[in-house]
Amino acid sequence: MGSMASAKVVVLPMIDKASEPEPAAARPVAAVIADNTAASDAPAPAAPEMAPVEPEIIPTVSLTTVFRHLLAKITRERIITAALACVSLGALFLFWYVGTRYKLEFYIRFKNVPTPYEVYQQLAQVGLSNKYLVNIAISVRRILGGFFIAMAIGVPLGLAIGKYPRVRDLFMPVVEVLRPIPAIAWVPMSIMLWPNNEASIVFITFIGAFFPILLNTIHGVHSLDGVLIRAARCLGASEFRLFLNVILPGSLPHIFTGLAVGMGVAWVSLIAAEMISGQFGVGYFTWEAYSLVDYPAIVLGMITIGCLGLACSGIIRMVGNLLMPWLAFAPGGKR
Amino acid sequence: MTMAVAEAQKGFIDVRDMGVTFGANDNKVVAVDNVSLNVQPGEFVSLIGPSGCGKSTLLSIVAGFVKPTRGEAKLDGKAITKPGSDRGVVFQQYSLFPWLSVRKNVEFGLKMAGVEQSKRNTTARALLDLAGLLSFENHYPDQLSGGMKQRIGIVRALATSPQVLLMDEPFGALDTQTRVVMQEILTNIWQQFKISVLFITHDIEESIFLSDRIYVMTARPGRIKAEIKVPLPRPRTAEMTDTPEFMNLVQELKGLIREESLAAMAPEIKDRGLSGFGMKVGPKGVGEIF
Repeated sequence: MGSMASAKVVVLPMIDKASEPEPAAARPVAAVIADNTAASDAPAPAAPEMAPVEPEIIPTVSLTTVFRHLLAKITRERIITAALACVSLGALFLFWYVGTRYKLEFYIRFKNVPTPYEVYQQLAQVGLSNKYLVNIAISVRRILGGFFIAMAIGVPLGLAIGKYPRVRDLFMPVVEVLRPIPAIAWVPMSIMLWPNNEASIVFITFIGAFFPILLNTIHGVHSLDGVLIRAARCLGASEFRLFLNVILPGSLPHIFTGLAVGMGVAWVSLIAAEMISGQFGVGYFTWEAYSLVDYPAIVLGMITIGCLGLACSGIIRMVGNLLMPWLAFAPGGKR
Repeated sequence: MTMAVAEAQKGFIDVRDMGVTFGANDNKVVAVDNVSLNVQPGEFVSLIGPSGCGKSTLLSIVAGFVKPTRGEAKLDGKAITKPGSDRGVVFQQYSLFPWLSVRKNVEFGLKMAGVEQSKRNTTARALLDLAGLLSFENHYPDQLSGGMKQRIGIVRALATSPQVLLMDEPFGALDTQTRVVMQEILTNIWQQFKISVLFITHDIEESIFLSDRIYVMTARPGRIKAEIKVPLPRPRTAEMTDTPEFMNLVQELKGLIREESLAAMAPEIKDRGLSGFGMKVGPKGVGEIF
């Protein structure tokens, strides 16, 4: 710090300033830049001219460096994390296996529960069947439909409610009244409202995802440090720019929390809706299996739902990490 | 030469008969009362006073965040109504956008002004070089120390070539050593840009070291108690703080401020004991809980 301070007290083009009477606003930075370039301690502006000097550099990557790089990523921490994950999943599996193998009965009854092997057989049998895959595809389509509509409405509305008290006063009463109604309770109404079964299920999924997204977005705007908004205003941000460049990125961490929670609730709502009113879908597959006393298929359906939900929240988390690389350095962050 | 430059430049802040009242009726608080002050183009002026005297309120008005109840603030003859990039502001809290890299932070004002990417880049890099932080251009603010963040805050405010720089206790959150270095860096940057600075502080040495002129404010309601010229030559160096002239100024200002700090506290201490400090003590406090 200190060295820089003393180094830069160079004679500046003040003469230039005094002689030119036009807007002072545009000049100071340009003047300082000009000076710095002249002093040749600013490598930045010179960079483009450097390019043709050494054009023959072909990037080579040796396999050993790649391997070493990968090895370096396997830290002690990661090994422990992976080991604990195996332990917890293994314990669950063991509990299931032991329970069904010995048909345990101690208040809960494993009598009718299929064994892991039976479920595996079921998977081998229907796993690649058209029916099973179509059910998955339809559920995923419904989830994506409901979730993206919820996001497209929830995020902008949340930003507006968070920013403008008048918008808040207008929308929040409705939100507060509708929010406690669980998505399942919307099933009969939804069937009445929408012209076909598909639309009504997407609507229920939407209802499930919408409120977590909306409320977390509002919270994100409220928790944004006011000094950042003031700073942006001083730097000449218009109202629209303020939304796009400050309020949206500033509330992004909370928005992503909302998306993750919303995705979870969307799956809960979807499966329930499919069980009640559905044709097709993983929820319908599971319920149908129960009706047909096809017990292994029930467990297969449950595991399928679990994996799909895990994949969805995993994707959201991944997108979040890609969009918000700065969070890794935030107080309490990963690094 | 300095005078000639100053006259050719813009950046004249003129505050006249300013009064600010917060709240209404019973909980009405007069924050600032009848304040007039000015900052000449290219001048470095400090505003100093006990806490709660309304100095930050005054700066908020010049920045355009707060509207005065009475009087007006003008920049180069034009009334100030809203924030704008003709006035750079440096806040006490770190106000860098955590989601933008250091360079993008500096570019922000230029982006808002619609300056093209390559030009923004060049300007930002030159400014970061000036702040000695070019090698950190791709870091995020959360990776930097407080002093670094505040240096970036200063050059970010300068990027749009404002006519004035408004600084609200910018070094208040820094430790003493960093603070001293930051003061030197600031005087250097100021001498390069030669823009007007209105600097809020409660640190007496800091105000003397940096300023051409110092306004001392009274305790609430804030009024201008004294206006003191700092006759120390430029450029200022750290050694100057040991000279008798500097010491005398410190003594003079200490006396003025002490009177006001006591005046600000005395009635509360006398009337309500420790609760004057905002504490809930004694039977009354406990009674309120149960």
